[in-house]
Amino acid sequence: MTAPASTPSLPSASLISAQALMGIRNLELRARAVVEGFWSGLHRSPYHGFSVEFTEYRQYTPGDDPRHLDWRVFARSDRYYIKKFEDETNLRCHLVADQSRSMDFGSIGHTKARYAATLAATLAYFLHLQGDAVGLLTFDERLRDYLPARHRSSHLRQIMLALEKPAGGAATDLAAPLRRITELVRKRGLVALVSDFLAPLEGLERSLTDLAACRHEVVVFQVLDPAELGLVFDQASIFRDAETGRTLYVDPAAARKGYVQKLEAHCAELRRICDKLGITYHRLATDQPLELALFDFLRQRMHRGTTARAVAATSGNLPA
Amino acid sequence: MSFLAPFFLLGGLAIALPVVFHLVRRTTREQTLFSSLMFLQPSPPRLTRKSRLEHLLLLLLRCLALALLAVGFARPFLKQSVPPDDDRGAARRIVVLVDTSASMRREGLWAAARGQAEAALRQAGPADQVELLAFDRVVTPLFSFDEWRTTPAGDRVAQAVGRLAATSPGWSSTQLGHALVRAAEDLAGPDDAGQPGPREILLISDLQEGSRLEALQAYEWPKGIRLRVDPVKVSKTSNAGLQLVTGSDDADRDAGPVTRVRVVNAAGSKREQFPVGWARPDAPDLVGAAVEVYVPPGQSRIVSVPAPTNAPGLSRIVLRGDDDPFDDSVFVVPTEAARTGILYLGDDDATDTRQPLFFLRRALPATRRQAIQVVARKSSEAVPATDVDAADLFVITDPLADAGADAVRKRILAGKTALFAPKSNASATTLARLLGLPSLVMGETKPEKYAMLAEIDFRSPLFAPFADPRFSDFTKIHFWRHRQLDAAAVPGARILAKFDSGAPAVLEVPVGKGRVMVLTSGWQPEDSQLALSSKFVPLLYSLIELGGDGAAPATQATVGDRVPLAAMSGATTLRMPDGTSVTLPSGATDFATAAGPGIYSVASAAGSAPRRFAVNLDPAETRTAPLSEDDLSRLGVPVTHAAQPDAARSTEKKLVLQSLEAESRQKIWRSMLIAALAVLAAESALAGWTARRTMPTEGTPA
Repeated sequence: MTAPASTPSLPSASLISAQALMGIRNLELRARAVVEGFWSGLHRSPYHGFSVEFTEYRQYTPGDDPRHLDWRVFARSDRYYIKKFEDETNLRCHLVADQSRSMDFGSIGHTKARYAATLAATLAYFLHLQGDAVGLLTFDERLRDYLPARHRSSHLRQIMLALEKPAGGAATDLAAPLRRITELVRKRGLVALVSDFLAPLEGLERSLTDLAACRHEVVVFQVLDPAELGLVFDQASIFRDAETGRTLYVDPAAARKGYVQKLEAHCAELRRICDKLGITYHRLATDQPLELALFDFLRQRMHRGTTARAVAATSGNLPA
Repeated sequence: MSFLAPFFLLGGLAIALPVVFHLVRRTTREQTLFSSLMFLQPSPPRLTRKSRLEHLLLLLLRCLALALLAVGFARPFLKQSVPPDDDRGAARRIVVLVDTSASMRREGLWAAARGQAEAALRQAGPADQVELLAFDRVVTPLFSFDEWRTTPAGDRVAQAVGRLAATSPGWSSTQLGHALVRAAEDLAGPDDAGQPGPREILLISDLQEGSRLEALQAYEWPKGIRLRVDPVKVSKTSNAGLQLVTGSDDADRDAGPVTRVRVVNAAGSKREQFPVGWARPDAPDLVGAAVEVYVPPGQSRIVSVPAPTNAPGLSRIVLRGDDDPFDDSVFVVPTEAARTGILYLGDDDATDTRQPLFFLRRALPATRRQAIQVVARKSSEAVPATDVDAADLFVITDPLADAGADAVRKRILAGKTALFAPKSNASATTLARLLGLPSLVMGETKPEKYAMLAEIDFRSPLFAPFADPRFSDFTKIHFWRHRQLDAAAVPGARILAKFDSGAPAVLEVPVGKGRVMVLTSGWQPEDSQLALSSKFVPLLYSLIELGGDGAAPATQATVGDRVPLAAMSGATTLRMPDGTSVTLPSGATDFATAAGPGIYSVASAAGSAPRRFAVNLDPAETRTAPLSEDDLSRLGVPVTHAAQPDAARSTEKKLVLQSLEAESRQKIWRSMLIAALAVLAAESALAGWTARRTMPTEGTPA
């Protein structure tokens, strides 16, 4: 069930560096650059011919609901096919993006928020290209925007606009948006959670459990800045919390060891929660190329889709 | 370099602050934005591990600015070589002026003044020249420069102190101005020894407000003479005094024997309520009811003190409830009207409104000061000798018998005055007899319309009261008729006024000690309008005063005044307030009343009633509030304060003053502050440049 956080198995020369990518001003262009680069790279990849969800037409058999007959196919071929599965099999993906102030930190020229927005946009664009419905939910300490999952070009543009909003809010509440998704999205689908997860994890486990219980497939992207990972500051200074405004005099040299320990413990706890609930967990540093994240994501999806089909075939719920 | 306020140099310790701040990591004040502090622990500030100062130039500039500020605030100055004090060592000439006025009688003042004077005398060096003067109303030399010079050096002080001990405050007023002028002149006088040393007046006085300084106004203070004031201070500032209110002849004439006194309370007094009443000269108790007077400090009230009915003849009013009794009594002698006898020799009826006598009687009413008795006798009758003897002024309008004329002439020769205003030419013989001339010719003129007085000698005592242009207009008086007298025919005659025709109108002819005034026209309506004019009465009074006996003898005097004795015929014995008698030398014209306030009486040997004088303190002595030294400075007297008794302290003070002066002249602190500002500006520029240079790298993760 677990997936490696990042496996840069692709030659790095073909990848767009994160810094170069973030130099592109338009979010949609950034997403397109990643996805199209990914497509072009995909031709050379050993994995091809898979999709997010398998779709098929099934010949009508008596007993099926005639509402699901595809009359256009009938007009073309004079045969009855059930269209029912087209709708069912299409993926409904909800992107949950953290737009709290802590995401506004960046030490290498772009912030985590920009990186996360690009990641979310890339996913949205990619899924949109595949014909999947994409929705968006942004949050800080409360919900900010909610766009239901749809498959339309204009909808994709709205998603881009919502993702481009500047970060705000005084805190990060991870549990509330997940509860909200649970309430709003009744049909099972994919929920991609993009955040730095720099907040207490107490309520998160319960929310993720609820979400998993609704049979949503959940992917967690933890976006962290390289400076956050190693506390790489050279001078002692007063550190100001981006969200609460609290200040603290910190000498990085002295505090680094304890900080890294605590951060790693925090990340390990998050990973433990994800593993426990069968949730895919990716930790991304903002200097990593986004294609890697997408590649990992798809590989994980393929693996998961295979297992899902196998499970469905054994249970008889889904046609093989 | 020295400092006025060296304590400010401690501010230089503040230099340690930038050093410490530079040792502490500079980034402590900078803020770094971080996503979350949840994994961070606060670390204590610490010094750079390298123990090395960063930004050495900045640190130096900051330390320099602080040091400059500290030095500037300490007010540095360069000590200059102080010129040697020429006052020291050189022989001084000092006049010690000791106040002996009545106000020095206050409690403890004289002892203090003596102590200070003795101290000043003892401080005099052997080369110094000292003069000791006592002053009140007059200046009394106690020990002159000559005596000082001629006395052996060892005995000078002792002798001067002895003279001072023999002196005590009198009762006179304080003529401080005169005393200062005298002292300054003594100092400014030629110096026998030719000493270039400083000259100084040491004034030891209570410096009361009532000191008179008028003499200084017209005096140009000589250069190089300093006045050093060594005031004696009183322990009690409360003082109230009494003054007699004089000059109210007609006031309260009908209200009975009421005397008005002014109660003055000094500015610093603590008391405000004083009983005032009559008392016997020797007993302090009040007789009869006292008048309670409320006088706030610094003010005065005039109150009427009625004489007690049960004890007539009291002559002393006393104020009670005052700390200093020296000015609490006034002595009062009731004014006696001066008796002036006028003998009118003429044939007219007193009730005839066209005759001179009628107007003469009405022009001279009796006043409180003067009781004029006009006795009229027919010129044709024999004049009684008593009338002639009692008369002070003779008015002759008709021809006299020879015997009468001789009697009158005898009195004129003795000093009396006669007014000769003939009604007709027939009086010419009488005039000749009065003047002692064999014969005299008199004519009569009747001008066409009228004659006026044209040339008037206003310098003569008769017309002197009219000298003011407001009163000198005599043209309204018309003369219808006048006698013609040849002034050249009368030896010694002086024409005091002429008619517009040039004929003499008023002549003065001295006869022996007295004089005869000849009026060539009468004042009766037949001759002129003189009797009806406003000039008539003043003219008559001028005439009476010419007799020398017109004014009432003064009964009030101030201590130190010389009371004239001219009116006292054969006065020989003067009785002092303390009961002693002094026999005045024959021929004395006045006597001094310096012995103090009280009732003086002069008794003549002839046994007539003794004449009494009340002698009181000068009212100015009551004003005991201290005089401001600025008043002296304003009159051009360079006043310095008395030197500190402690010579070391005075030297120290002088040094401090010199330092202050040098510092304020050099103003080094200003340059220091400007330099500090310049250094701070340089520091700001450097700091800004450094910050700009380091900004791009600051806050960047390593």
